Amino acid sequence: MKIEKVKITNFKCYEGTFTLALNDGLNVIVGANESGKTTILEAIHLALTGLLHGRPLKNDLTSYLFNLVAQNKYVQSLGTASPLPPPAITIELFFSGSSNELAELEGDGNSERAKRSGVVYKIEFDEENYKGPYEELVKAGELTSIPVEYYTTTMRSFARKGVTARNIPIKSALIDSSSTRLQNGSDVYVSRIIRDVLEEKERASISQAHRKLKEAFVANPNLKLINERITQAAKISQKAVSISVDLSSQTAWESSLMTYIDLIPFQYIGKGEQCVIKTKLALSAKKNAEATAVLLEEPENHLSHTRLNELIADLTEKHGQKQIIISTHSSFVANKLGLDHLIVLRSGEVARISELEASDFFKKLAGYDTLRLALAAKAILVEGDSDELVVQRAYMDANGGRLPIQDGIDVISVGTAFLRFLELADALKIPVAVVTDNDGDTTVVEKKYAAFKDSSTVRICFDPVVDTGTLMIKDKPYNYNTLEPKLLKANDRATLNAILGTSATTDDELRIHMRANKTESALAIFNSKTAVTYPDYIQKAIAP
Amino acid sequence: MIGENKIVIAAAGSGKTTYLVEEAVKIKGERVLITTYTESNEAEIRQKFFELVGHVPANVVIMTWFSFLITHGVKPFQGSLFEFPVSGMVLVSAQSGLKFKTRQGQPVFWAENEIDKHYFDPVRRVYSDKLPKLAIRCNEKSGGAVMDRISRIFPHVLVDEVQDLAGYDLDILAALARSSVRLLMVGDPRQVTYLTHHERRYQKYADGGIVDFLRNELPKKVPVDIDETTLNRSHRNSAVICTVSSRLFPILPASQACDCVRCRTGSAAWNGAFILRTADYAHYLATVRPMQLRDKITSLGVDQRWPAMNFGESKGRGFDHVVILPTEPMRLWLSDHATNLKPQSRAKFYVALTRGRHSVAIAMDWGTSPLPTGFSLYERAS
Repeated sequence: MKIEKVKITNFKCYEGTFTLALNDGLNVIVGANESGKTTILEAIHLALTGLLHGRPLKNDLTSYLFNLVAQNKYVQSLGTASPLPPPAITIELFFSGSSNELAELEGDGNSERAKRSGVVYKIEFDEENYKGPYEELVKAGELTSIPVEYYTTTMRSFARKGVTARNIPIKSALIDSSSTRLQNGSDVYVSRIIRDVLEEKERASISQAHRKLKEAFVANPNLKLINERITQAAKISQKAVSISVDLSSQTAWESSLMTYIDLIPFQYIGKGEQCVIKTKLALSAKKNAEATAVLLEEPENHLSHTRLNELIADLTEKHGQKQIIISTHSSFVANKLGLDHLIVLRSGEVARISELEASDFFKKLAGYDTLRLALAAKAILVEGDSDELVVQRAYMDANGGRLPIQDGIDVISVGTAFLRFLELADALKIPVAVVTDNDGDTTVVEKKYAAFKDSSTVRICFDPVVDTGTLMIKDKPYNYNTLEPKLLKANDRATLNAILGTSATTDDELRIHMRANKTESALAIFNSKTAVTYPDYIQKAIAP
Repeated sequence: MIGENKIVIAAAGSGKTTYLVEEAVKIKGERVLITTYTESNEAEIRQKFFELVGHVPANVVIMTWFSFLITHGVKPFQGSLFEFPVSGMVLVSAQSGLKFKTRQGQPVFWAENEIDKHYFDPVRRVYSDKLPKLAIRCNEKSGGAVMDRISRIFPHVLVDEVQDLAGYDLDILAALARSSVRLLMVGDPRQVTYLTHHERRYQKYADGGIVDFLRNELPKKVPVDIDETTLNRSHRNSAVICTVSSRLFPILPASQACDCVRCRTGSAAWNGAFILRTADYAHYLATVRPMQLRDKITSLGVDQRWPAMNFGESKGRGFDHVVILPTEPMRLWLSDHATNLKPQSRAKFYVALTRGRHSVAIAMDWGTSPLPTGFSLYERAS
């Protein structure tokens, strides 16, 4: 039993419907801050348990749960001739697997009308109970947000039957190490996870032991004496006043028992250790009729490098049959867990490295640059180090000395792998400029990048003019169409001599020098006090 | 793979529900559905579990036939027929979905393709008489997904009072029989007292024809084991009562009184089958204290000082002594077994006769002709 697909509609940052297919084993969701990584984990947990931040959401509905764009569209439509119905948040989980436990959740009550097994969590207007009050509210014309007081939450199977977390054979263990919310009392998550690890019999016996303990406390003669005294002392009424333990709650042992680690209460141990223990507990659950989805939020927080390494080793080696969904913005974590599990998220767009044509390439590439591209607001792709330096300097000159990265623009040297990076950029709709040499034949370049000719996000920048000359390097004609000769063409020998600290007497001499000292020359230009003039195609690449 | 299918024909008082619950308890680890037509019988099944094992096992689900059809027959795959949520079911006692009446007073009904009007009332409750039909349509439209799902959820389906099923209900039974589900049905074709279906479908099997239905309408490759012996002994009725009640259904094997020591010890001082003069009625009630059984609440002759019950209502119950207030056709049949007794009346009469453990009396003034076989005239002890 696995979660095969998640569909999220109108929840938090997801306007409209966002669909994410999941792998059976590891899923590593990477994305910049605010890209919606955590929202996905929250949504999955919510649909499996009805809980958000450890509490039943139905008691904590706010309009902030709704996508802001959806809310605005709705509010603005109210005064018009065609008002929109109150928006609903929908989270659908499609399950995979042939186990009979899933048959009960099977039906076509899903957005695809497909015969599938799964659950739908909805936060929607309670039409049955609040039709009248809502009409009045709309008539009064004072609605400025979604009227969540008239909303209700439902959790249904695809068979259109109300379900609870108990009926869903996939259990969710959300491990949220960045959270500081749960400081008091026993940690809800850890007791939940422990409860889920236990078999029904074991749970019953704990609950029995807890009940006996409470009864023994109540039966203690000292308590009786004290209660008699209280009754005499407190002349509140004619009725007896007494103290006792709370016998009412059905599952009291979970909330009143404390988890200890080496005799230290769980919430007093370090956050990092908490995360590791919760993860290990969740990974250790072994039940036949149930599956566990481990949801791990940013495990890199609070963990030392070694602890993180241990945790990752656990995740990769011991996850067994469990499905793990991790959100991270650590390239280290992403890299260690393997790029083939990587799901890159960016303003609602999803790319999986394993599905790109260039996936082999990215798997071999250490992954760091891949993530740089995925996380950048914009990127400029260049061929090598010298191009990178010159483009950076050009950007600084044009933008008051600010480095491109300070504006969220990452300049990445990709060698000859332009097309592979463009595939990723295109999938994620990342605005990208490519700075490339024309290598003496513009038709070849045009053909190579033909797919991006009319792209709104990809800008291909090269010099449309093919320069020629007679210079020969060791019997081979000199390439007049790379960065260095183009720089010389845009400036003059004297300017470059001054910046590079050379005293070349001919242009060819300077060409040979710069060809042999590419990086040094670029570094000199990058560090120079005076600016050079940049070829047009570089200006085009750094233009906003 | 076709699962095992079996129908057990049970005599009144033979312990149908006990048998079914015992069968359910034997099944370990696999899910079991027990379903029956009426809510009172559903409650009785639940009660029986508590009596026999102290709890309803976790793998057993008990639900009425209607809630089974809504939850597992319609809702999971309604998507191919209609979108709106089903808000429940409404019990109807005549053909549902009336469109209008002609000037001559002829009713015209909504056609089947007007799904929301043919199957549903204005607040989207499905009509009870159309519910099994809707489930069948959902199954057809979804390419058999409905039955496929049910057979994976419940490897065992146990149906109590199966004789109550009619019309499209029988199609559902047939589909279950063809599936991998192990289908165990228990019922008494003599006790069809609920006239709940007005569909013309399978009209010929409506009155206790369940066995014929299974014999005639299922393909040859779908075998159904018909068991007429396991539950043919009544633990309730005395031998005399078995004999006189069995005459109502001469083509079926007569039921036998059990010879369990437990059932037959401490037999009452008063037993037998009697014809009771109306003049002796009050006296009989005061001395024998029987339960009065009547056709309906308006039936004449009931002594309001003593408890009384309708025939239909008494189904499944047992009393030491009963007195029956017969309807006119019942009276006619008693004097001549060849007279026509409508199936429904015949079933009710059978139910009434088989309620008594020790004695059954029929309140009517007999006249001079010989008493029906097995009966004697009640004479007040002087």
